[in-house]
Amino acid sequence: MAQSDTAPSVTPPVARLIEAFHRLPGIGPKSAQRLTYHLIRMPKEEAEEFAGAIAELKDRVVLCDTCANISESAECQICTDLQRDKTRICVVEEPLDVIAIERARVYSGKYHILHGVISPVNGIGPNDLKLRELLERLRDGSVTEVIVATNPNLEGEATAMYIQQLIGPLDVKVTRLARGLPSGSDIEYADDSTLAHALESRAEIS
Amino acid sequence: MTTKRRPITYTTEGVVVRISNLGEADRIITLVTPIHGLVRGVAKASRKPGSKIGGHLDMLKHVSVSVRETSTLHGLSQASTLNGFRKLRDDLERFSRASYISEISEQFSVENGSNQPLFRLLLSVLEALETTTNTDMITRFFEMRLLQLSGFQPEMSRCVETGIELKPANHLYSAERGGLLSNQAKPVIETALLPASLNTIKLLRFLSKAKLMNAKVIKAGEEEKRQLSRILRAQIHYVLDRGLRSEAFMDEVRSKKTET
Ligand SMILES: [Zn+2]
Repeated sequence: MAQSDTAPSVTPPVARLIEAFHRLPGIGPKSAQRLTYHLIRMPKEEAEEFAGAIAELKDRVVLCDTCANISESAECQICTDLQRDKTRICVVEEPLDVIAIERARVYSGKYHILHGVISPVNGIGPNDLKLRELLERLRDGSVTEVIVATNPNLEGEATAMYIQQLIGPLDVKVTRLARGLPSGSDIEYADDSTLAHALESRAEIS
Repeated sequence: MTTKRRPITYTTEGVVVRISNLGEADRIITLVTPIHGLVRGVAKASRKPGSKIGGHLDMLKHVSVSVRETSTLHGLSQASTLNGFRKLRDDLERFSRASYISEISEQFSVENGSNQPLFRLLLSVLEALETTTNTDMITRFFEMRLLQLSGFQPEMSRCVETGIELKPANHLYSAERGGLLSNQAKPVIETALLPASLNTIKLLRFLSKAKLMNAKVIKAGEEEKRQLSRILRAQIHYVLDRGLRSEAFMDEVRSKKTET
């Protein structure tokens, strides 16, 4: 579809860049065109800086051998930090989730990044996630709790269920982030799953 | 379309069959609806925790939603859940089946193509999957009914090669030819053939006439179930001209279940 939007009036380098942008997540054909034409108007130095940043990213950024977070070396800063609690691992979908949880400054354990969730309709199964690596980390018995922090939607929940079944036979506690009403929201607009979870995990007012 | 027309807004029910992220906090939601067929639209800011619609527009939920049609992506708002199918959410096997069923429904739907029978079938099968212990037969029922609704009912009484009425015996199935092939027939043009035992053929015929409530109680041996599944799947692949992405996970969950 994208091709018919751009072809045949644009020159090949322009079409190629539009195609490249279009492959990025969340970028539709219109946005891809807009970004490309923005780059055409950009001063040459700025464009080179931009291209250089992408090249450097691929050269210098790797996935941490332990937790699969993005890192500049084989072990990331969090994994090498001796101050952090190494008995707990928080499992998240994406590196951005680590940043969000770190920003809240309430968690001092380690992380494990799955790089996705089980999504059958997109052909993504357990083998496409960093699950084998997670099991590997639990093998020596030093981890006592795995906190599953996948998103509270269908595929995030299914992934959490899968992890729970996978780790079940090991002597490790598996917990799930509490789900319920988000702060500042309105009960009137809450969906049934949110309300059900909020009721299930209700707490006594103390 | 060159003339600018006023955007049309309507409210519809639908089942969410696909979600992808767009930009910072938006999502593109795809729904199968009864009147408007496949509807794709943007749910603005639906990834933010405070979103009024984000929780409703989740995969495999039956929702009511307001659609504002535009020449590009439609806008979605005012979503509310009609049935959250919660029991499909806390069991991996039911989840894997429901994912498969929603993917097929998406593949057999087109934009603006009203298909009320397909929509009703999708809803009733999702409902059945919530409670049944016979997820296998409910899935086969769905496949068979979907083929029938789409005009691809498998030929089960006459040989697709010779046209001769089939005797009660073990025969073969050709997805390409759309039905059973007599074990005596020699296909003129080469075609992939699947085994169809007499019992499998009986199951196929029964499924083609059964109501959902009858499908729930069908019992069959492992070999018949396997043949039935291969035949219906091959037929769906042939119609769609491709396989389905959700098959791998469904098969994995199923094989784990039979292991234990
Ligand atoms: Zn690390």
